[in-house]
Amino acid sequence: MKNDLILATDLKERVIHWVLAVSCLLLCFTGLIMMFHSLNFLAVIFGGLLGVKYVHNYTGIVFAISLVLAIGMWWKEAGIFSMPEDWEWVKAAGGYLWKVNKVPEVGKYNPGQKLFFLTVAVFGVLMVITGLLIWFPIFSGAVTAWMILLHVLGFVVIFAFFFVHLYLGTIGSPGSLQAMTSGWVTRAWAKTHHPKWLAEEEAHGKLIIKRR
Amino acid sequence: MAEKIKLIDVSKCTGCRGCQLACKQWNQMPARQTTNTGSYQNPPDLQWNTWMLIRFQEINDGGSVKWLFRKDGCMHCTDAGCIKACPSGALYRTEFGTVALDQKKCIGCKECIAACPFDVPRYNSETGKIYKCDLCYSRLYNGLIPACAKACPTGAIKFGDKEEMLKVAQKRLEELKKEGFEDATIYGDQFLNGTHVMYVLAEKPAAYDKLPLTPTISPAIGIWKDVLKPLSLIASGGVIAGAFLHYVLHGPKKPKEDMPDKSA
Repeated sequence: MKNDLILATDLKERVIHWVLAVSCLLLCFTGLIMMFHSLNFLAVIFGGLLGVKYVHNYTGIVFAISLVLAIGMWWKEAGIFSMPEDWEWVKAAGGYLWKVNKVPEVGKYNPGQKLFFLTVAVFGVLMVITGLLIWFPIFSGAVTAWMILLHVLGFVVIFAFFFVHLYLGTIGSPGSLQAMTSGWVTRAWAKTHHPKWLAEEEAHGKLIIKRR
Repeated sequence: MAEKIKLIDVSKCTGCRGCQLACKQWNQMPARQTTNTGSYQNPPDLQWNTWMLIRFQEINDGGSVKWLFRKDGCMHCTDAGCIKACPSGALYRTEFGTVALDQKKCIGCKECIAACPFDVPRYNSETGKIYKCDLCYSRLYNGLIPACAKACPTGAIKFGDKEEMLKVAQKRLEELKKEGFEDATIYGDQFLNGTHVMYVLAEKPAAYDKLPLTPTISPAIGIWKDVLKPLSLIASGGVIAGAFLHYVLHGPKKPKEDMPDKSA
């Protein structure tokens, strides 16, 4: 029992996550190459800056589709804060920043994860809309200039937050990466990070368990 | 190389459009069939294949008609929004102070269009490139004056060193004032740190179509390049440093393997 593995994410979730993640990172990379003259030289990977533009634009479409699927799939679990426990968790910073005797128990996604989801959702939609209006400028130059600014603002927010996600999805929280690779997490991991979710799923008999 | 200025004295312009044709000819831009819309202004606006045009206006002048002609095109700003916005370095400053365009480098992102206060750059969707006046860089480079200035039969378009052109403009302004053009003014040197195309206008700037009274680059361009661009690196770098410190000082949040399991 103690060695049980628990399915945290199903195949659909993992596939959509990775399509979104890879397209997002490719967009960040190609965007950086175009925004910084000092990174222009990396355009050689894509056969020149024109290639970078094409990869950026069409990857944007992949990003948009996977973003819509991700929002549709996760907004109920990760897009709505459940009070008051989420607020209690925030006040304790989830036990990540200082010693907390008992981290308040929250559902499948903690408020930090929810904040990341909401940031990607809101700024992701902003990126798609402003991106399309830069690609196909139907408004005047004066308006398009502000679209470019919003597009860069979205990049600043998403790119910085991505590193938080990367850290807490890997070395900052050992055992978490498996939730998005095989989908199977240990019982100890689930009990540490998402005790309320574990208890509820178990009580409803919905937990998918692989016995070892 | 000294900074050069193209000075357009609209009071001497007869609207012959020799400059418009010379521009097309030198730059080998094709003509396109246009339709008569009731104005001599043709084509109706700048196009990818029309880098400059004479704007025609008919003004009611106390019962009679007065013509206003204005040669419109790139102003070659010192603070050029297009150069600032261009991601590929296709738009660049020449040794004459003018703004030229290396089309081989242009990726057709159209960001220069958003950054131009004079609505000059034009996009050709067939070639995927931006087009605009480069003040005949190929001619200047070889010691010639721009094609439009060469073609002008009345001396309305002058080209020369900045200091000299400013003097010519000032002298002409005084002449016009004496002749009764009270609203005559010089347009260009007071904007965007000085434009390399300047006008002597016979009327107030507001009288001329599509001539911005206070051309400024959108603050969005400045915030983008001077604030958000560095901030993207500072913010992401800060997060990476923060994550590193967290790992070292606080340590990762490991699953509590030895936690007593009630269900076990």
